[in-house]
Amino acid sequence: MKLHNLISFFLGPVLAAITVVFFTQSAVSATPDPTEQFRPFLNKVTATLADPGLKKMPKHEQSRRIIGVVRERFDFREMSKRVIGQQWRNLSEKEQREFEELFTQLLQYAYVGKIDEYSGQQVQFTQQRIKGERAEVQTLLVDKAKSIPVSYIMLLRGDQWMAYDVVVEGVSLVRNYMEQFSEILRKDGYPGLVKQIEEKIAELEKDIKKT
Amino acid sequence: MHWKSCRVRSIGWVLGVVVMVFCWTSLAQAVDFLDDESYEKPQADYVVSDPIEPVNRAVFTVNDKFYLWVLEPVATGYSKVLPADIRACIGNFFYNLGEPVRSVNCLLQGRVRDAGLTLGRFVVNSICGVFGLADPAGHEFKMAPVYASFGETLSVWGVGEGFYLVVPLFGSSTVRDFTGTVVDGAAMSSYSPWNDDALTAATAEGAKTVNRTSLHLGEYVEIKSMSFDAYVAIRNGYYQMRSKRFDHSKNEK
Repeated sequence: MKLHNLISFFLGPVLAAITVVFFTQSAVSATPDPTEQFRPFLNKVTATLADPGLKKMPKHEQSRRIIGVVRERFDFREMSKRVIGQQWRNLSEKEQREFEELFTQLLQYAYVGKIDEYSGQQVQFTQQRIKGERAEVQTLLVDKAKSIPVSYIMLLRGDQWMAYDVVVEGVSLVRNYMEQFSEILRKDGYPGLVKQIEEKIAELEKDIKKT
Repeated sequence: MHWKSCRVRSIGWVLGVVVMVFCWTSLAQAVDFLDDESYEKPQADYVVSDPIEPVNRAVFTVNDKFYLWVLEPVATGYSKVLPADIRACIGNFFYNLGEPVRSVNCLLQGRVRDAGLTLGRFVVNSICGVFGLADPAGHEFKMAPVYASFGETLSVWGVGEGFYLVVPLFGSSTVRDFTGTVVDGAAMSSYSPWNDDALTAATAEGAKTVNRTSLHLGEYVEIKSMSFDAYVAIRNGYYQMRSKRFDHSKNEK
């Protein structure tokens, strides 16, 4: 065996191994693109909203359908955690689960009114920012008369970007509820907050039945 | 040759550092949603000072009734007469009239580029956009509108914002920002087409308000239905929205 044959005989597999390791590593370390993950999701949401069959269903069924789709890319636990703030750590595991359930329900009822308002508005993706395990995907909701900037703030869970806040025209939903909830928590504590959310849900439920 | 490449490299370094410092300062000014601190504690630019809360709450209730009983019904009727795109054009027209004041405010704040941009928008939209009814500057020339107000100028000059103020028939503001609004309004009335008498000016202001409301019908009621304390929800929204408006880091990049 000639020398260069010998070298390639030994070095070949080594090089191949290095190449394989290098490529798999770079594939693992590369963060997935948040916009690319979010685009099909938002398309699915708008498609569900545009479905003529949806508006014929009873309101409860409508909101359940929508929340089912939204759950794919929204982390309601993270949202609940942030909306409660520093007090979250003082809640028991059971209370945390109970709150997550309640807060999801609140959003479900609060947004059911939006379903009727949807009239084919389009979503345009403008920019994205990534900072470690957090990302912001900026979009424009384009209507006939105006376009509204809507940003989604998300967290990387495994290889999936999950949203935990929606920022509409610079106003963060989570921070807005946070200030209201902190006032209630200060005055009436956690049980008071649960009571108020339950009352709000009942109120919104009544409104839905009326229409 | 070696010396030259060295010099090029050192210039590259200096530029890199300058860019980094610049990015850092512009990031530091903004509320960054990607930082966890922005959720944990109120930021420096976001400390709500509301010592006259009982008075504000009373005015809030009056404004609430005025909105629900007068403004929204009028705006709803108006929206049935005029289609949405025409109302958007009317909105553009009023916005365009404010561009010279915005441009001066940009200059007073040292934002020379924005001042030129705003003035450019005014010229383009007044001529090509039929007195500002359309926004060709924004759509065709990629000159996006920028925010500027005298309240912001005062803040750049170091004037503190005083405290939160709910102004009758006007809504959320602060002592500093409402002063700015009055100054901006006075400056605008010096050249606006309806500065002859108070009645015409008030009618124009009313038309502007009704037109704006007609483009945002139902939003207020929705915010109220979703919130636990509408007063706190609106106050929080006002502060958040304003902190985004005062942040021009995006335009400077």
